[in-house]
Amino acid sequence: MQKSLRLLAAAALIGLGIWGWFVLFPSPEKVIRSRLQNLARTISFEPADGTIARGYSVQKAAGFFTTDAEINVDGRGLEPLHFSGRDEIQQALLWAARSLRGLKVEFLDINLTLDQDKQSAKANLTGKWTPTGDRDFGVLEFNFLLKKVDGTWLIYRVDSVKTLS
Amino acid sequence: MESKVNNSRWAASARTVVIGRNPRFTFARIVVLVLAVVVTREFVLLPVRIKGPSMLPTYAENGVNFVNRLAYVSHEPQRGDVVTIRYSGTSVMLMKRVIGLPGETIAFHAGRVSINGIPLDEPYIKYPTDWEIPPVTLAAEKYFVVGDNRSMPQNLHTFGETERQRIVGKILLCKNLFASSPPPR
Repeated sequence: MQKSLRLLAAAALIGLGIWGWFVLFPSPEKVIRSRLQNLARTISFEPADGTIARGYSVQKAAGFFTTDAEINVDGRGLEPLHFSGRDEIQQALLWAARSLRGLKVEFLDINLTLDQDKQSAKANLTGKWTPTGDRDFGVLEFNFLLKKVDGTWLIYRVDSVKTLS
Repeated sequence: MESKVNNSRWAASARTVVIGRNPRFTFARIVVLVLAVVVTREFVLLPVRIKGPSMLPTYAENGVNFVNRLAYVSHEPQRGDVVTIRYSGTSVMLMKRVIGLPGETIAFHAGRVSINGIPLDEPYIKYPTDWEIPPVTLAAEKYFVVGDNRSMPQNLHTFGETERQRIVGKILLCKNLFASSPPPR
């Protein structure tokens, strides 16, 4: 009985150790996924959020990009958009935060490809956005290119993908 | 005394109903049932909720349908099939009708579709349309898909060529379940 208890305790300890290891030292895939989900949450805002809260979120969101980041969006029914540099991205986000009542952004089905050196990665994902009060939502597929800068994964390029050409 | 006996009998029969006569078998049945549901959901029938007007009036908005993921195991998509096309995954998909097959030339003139120059009969098109699309020849493994509601502006309707690998499966039911909104006209 005592032996089986010891075995059980040892197994629990090993399990706890493995869990702790993954929590303390997450894989790059896990870090990137969590960062992208964090970006989607940061871009989203509620109608109740005030100007200061929105401005803070925009500033925070800009921090997910490199200073020379580029965004290219071209989808059916949308004007082609191109943003170059963190400042332009920040201005675009600020414009959205000012002109919309609220916005919910989600990044779904994230497929990650990590380069061999594990210093850069490509995330293919589905971006879904729903403006508050709208019955419909918008969807586009994107390729996010990320690189590790001073230990932090930053986005340096975003391109929309034409699902139907 | 009698009520105590009745209570214990009731508890025993309730236990039998909930757990069954043999708890091991009940547990095994639950495991098999959960596995069957998960396997069906992942590999056979994918439930979908339809949003948007692009397949009106064939498929009304807000209805529920299923994608048969095994439909194209033994053969390739056929003209007229209503299929779902994935983005980066299956969380959000496009629901469209296949009108062009690999190697064919598709064109729209005054709303009429022609395949290799021959007009295509489309009984599912109920609303007037005036779309104009110059001839497009499909490469191998490419399909031309479009919705049934071509009364909407061409630039707002998502249609075009898609790769075979993006086609997830064929829509199972010819009408949506629980559809709430009627066709707009």
